[in-house]
Amino acid sequence: MKEQNYRNFSIIAHIDHGKSTLADRILEITHAVDKREMKEQLLDNMDLERERGITIKLNAVRLNYNYNGDDYILNLIDTPGHVDFSYEVSRSLAACDGAVLVVDAAQGIEAQTLANLYLALEQDLTIIPVINKIDLPNANIPKVLNELEKVLGFKKEEVILCSGKTGEGVEELVKAIIERVPAPKNNIGAPTRALIFDSFFDSYRGVILLVKMVDGKIKVGDTIELLNSKSDFVVSSLGYNTPKTVDTNELVSGEVGFIAASIKDISTVSVGDTVTTLQNHSDIPLDGYKEMKPMVFSGIFPTEPNRYDELKEALEKLKLNDASLTYEPETSEALGFGFRIGFLGLLHMDIIMTRLEREFNLDIIATSPSVIYKAVLTDGSIVEIDSPNKMPDRTKIKYIEEPYIYTNIISPSVYIGSIMELCQNKRGIYVNTEYIDEERVNIHYNIPLSEIVYDFYDKLKSYTKGYASFDYELSKYLQSDLVKMDILLNGEIVDALSVIVHKDFAYSKGRTIVKKLRESIPRQMFQVPIQASIGTKVIARETLSAMRKNVLAKCYGGDVSRKRKLLEKQKEGKKRMKMVGSVEVPQEAFLAILKDE
Amino acid sequence: MNQSVYIHIPFCRKLCSYCDFCKMNYNSIFVSKYLGSLSAEIKDKYEGEEISTLYIGGGTPSCLSTSELEALCKIISTFKLKEDYEFTFECNIGDINSDLLMLLKNMGVNRLSIGVESFDSDNLELMNRYCTFEDAYSKIELCREMGFDNINIDLIYALPNEEFKTVKKDIELALKLKPDHISTYSLILEDNTLLKLKGYQSIDEELDYKMYNYIIRKLTEKGYVHYEISNFAKPGKESRHNLNCWDNNEYYGFGLGAAGYFEGVRYQNTRNLTKYLNGEYVLENELVTKESKMKYELMLGLRKLKGINIKEFHDKYNENIQNVFDLNALMKNKDLILKDNYLFINPKKIYLMNEILLKIL
Repeated sequence: MKEQNYRNFSIIAHIDHGKSTLADRILEITHAVDKREMKEQLLDNMDLERERGITIKLNAVRLNYNYNGDDYILNLIDTPGHVDFSYEVSRSLAACDGAVLVVDAAQGIEAQTLANLYLALEQDLTIIPVINKIDLPNANIPKVLNELEKVLGFKKEEVILCSGKTGEGVEELVKAIIERVPAPKNNIGAPTRALIFDSFFDSYRGVILLVKMVDGKIKVGDTIELLNSKSDFVVSSLGYNTPKTVDTNELVSGEVGFIAASIKDISTVSVGDTVTTLQNHSDIPLDGYKEMKPMVFSGIFPTEPNRYDELKEALEKLKLNDASLTYEPETSEALGFGFRIGFLGLLHMDIIMTRLEREFNLDIIATSPSVIYKAVLTDGSIVEIDSPNKMPDRTKIKYIEEPYIYTNIISPSVYIGSIMELCQNKRGIYVNTEYIDEERVNIHYNIPLSEIVYDFYDKLKSYTKGYASFDYELSKYLQSDLVKMDILLNGEIVDALSVIVHKDFAYSKGRTIVKKLRESIPRQMFQVPIQASIGTKVIARETLSAMRKNVLAKCYGGDVSRKRKLLEKQKEGKKRMKMVGSVEVPQEAFLAILKDE
Repeated sequence: MNQSVYIHIPFCRKLCSYCDFCKMNYNSIFVSKYLGSLSAEIKDKYEGEEISTLYIGGGTPSCLSTSELEALCKIISTFKLKEDYEFTFECNIGDINSDLLMLLKNMGVNRLSIGVESFDSDNLELMNRYCTFEDAYSKIELCREMGFDNINIDLIYALPNEEFKTVKKDIELALKLKPDHISTYSLILEDNTLLKLKGYQSIDEELDYKMYNYIIRKLTEKGYVHYEISNFAKPGKESRHNLNCWDNNEYYGFGLGAAGYFEGVRYQNTRNLTKYLNGEYVLENELVTKESKMKYELMLGLRKLKGINIKEFHDKYNENIQNVFDLNALMKNKDLILKDNYLFINPKKIYLMNEILLKIL
């Protein structure tokens, strides 16, 4: 195969604009799978991805296509569509030379269309604009064409019209990919360098590296070196997905594929690292990725304290193909040993929690999510606070700053009023409103990140009947009147329940939390006051009445053994409780505080 | 050495909606076969010890016919009774008449346990039972006339939808019967009972607690000793048979679904009549280790308001109870009290006994 016949590309789109279906259709046209094998959304491997209809992890597939008598190899590298995963998008885009930008023929440009396009432009990729779902009865092709021209600056004749559902225009799209996306640079003679853009753990073959070959080649039997971790391994197998796994003897410059080299130690591999060979060594690492900074932090604890090691192992495995995941050990008086984990956003947090529970069978408790605050102290020094319990003494704080995000909220203009009301309630600072056309606007606000961490996205959907789309970028830190609010059970502060809140919202938030706790903690042998306080000042209180009855009214010779079994059963139930000071708190109580505000 | 015997008669004329004991509708053919099997089981297991307490319960033992009772009487005669024995027989109000009482007297019965449960028509309807105060009054008079001077009545409270005033009324009427012993049970909605299947819910625990406290106050005021969670007696009229169980001593259990405790093994008889009639009496055995025996000691012993004699505990197990179980926190909280060699639950917290046990076991 000639290197000029390789094409490495991604498909980028706003969520639900039909990216995965379009990818399926391309696979079908290139005969990678026949219709019989077709299962919806073939690239979405994880159950979780198919269930939620979103792509989380990347996947690379090699396709063959004959065009004008020449054989071409197309490497399709999938990207996630959600705002939380822009890091993953930039990872996959780094392995590409072109990107197909998909826009829904009925919806038009949405917030993540813009966000993903900007990421692709940062990588200097060739963009092929596509209007998808043209078969929809409510498709409005002229309007969307107009948006692509006016807002994004494409020429109308560049735009390809297609339908992933019917297959119309897909052939034309594949041809456009071959014609417009440049072939990867041919550096087969240069010292070997490959970029690790993903990795996963296989219990038989060890860590598998997904790479884009930039320079030189790698053969089975070569000794590879990971430049950053300075560790060597002998390549045991090489291959690519079509989407079936195909083994090969070598991977050369321009190709995308996987390397297995019996790598047992997960910690030696980091995504973004450069692979070279001892046979054809290079000392110069490729540009990695801009490291994504986690924005949301939460303490994660095993419900059963003795499963701390299992949790640790699980996090190591997740970290392997999710470099954005950061964590450090954390100890809580209430919850014992666990980890403080940094997430890219709330969806990311939700996905990680679900994966811990499903893939690793762990019962976990998560504490209320927090962002990174900056406290400027009276002596002029600055302290970063990613957990309420790291808040310095109030007397030492001059002021506190919190991170704000800059929003792209794209919505029909009729919802401007509702959106502004929502943003104001979330302490947003209005910037401006751009008109995309007569009916659609892009509303810009600066909003504290901590306010969108909870339910902003859900509220936005309900305020706009689902029509608004939302994306954000971190903008700046601004001074805020923030306080640490503690929760006390039976007079003792529960460290795991402390939160940092805006002073004006502390009262209502405190009331909500104590009420939820009262509803979710079972009665104890004594009356338990549940309080929210700022410093020594109690701002909300509920009282959990004392338990009145837990007794076997009847126990005679006839049922002694049975009554004992009943007690043992109750005892089992108690094991699922956490002893917080003198109070038994069920896992659900911690969850209740997190869920539905 | 076993000194107690329980015999189960699983037949009833009418089934109560709350009862999950081993029971079935009365059928004379089954009864006669059953008594044959019962006799065989006793011959099989009984080792000839002198018996100090005997208890015939059910079901409804009083629903048997005269000839059936005579046959039962013959079976009972196998047991060697101590001079000061206690022999209890469970009766339904409706079954009591002079013939029955005469027969029981001849059998050697010296204690009657009568199922009254409630006088309230709503409660009775819910339980599928029938009883009027007048009926109970005259029947108990009759028992006294026939020379029975140790009479217990059973009551149930905290039934679904029951109000506080109903309990008050029931207790006032029960006291007029001047029983020597009163057992009052807060209703347990057991699985596989009609009440549970119909979806009835327990009453609010605050109300249940209020009812319980009222009962304790009222009965103690009238000279009854609150000696076990649900049991009250005039001094000296405590149920010796049941105390034997709460003292964690061994006892024979004979009959369908009966349970016993013999030579370090707690056994449970089958509830399957066919198997029982075929001589397959025992369903399961539990070998009671020393550790497990000490747990039973606590679970049963603390039911008594008087509690556990810690010296006797030491003599029995050669261990100090406070070394075996971690009681410090509970004693510090005054959930448990140690006084004059007795370890007992704070009477104010006896209604939370399970909660306390869960912290120890």
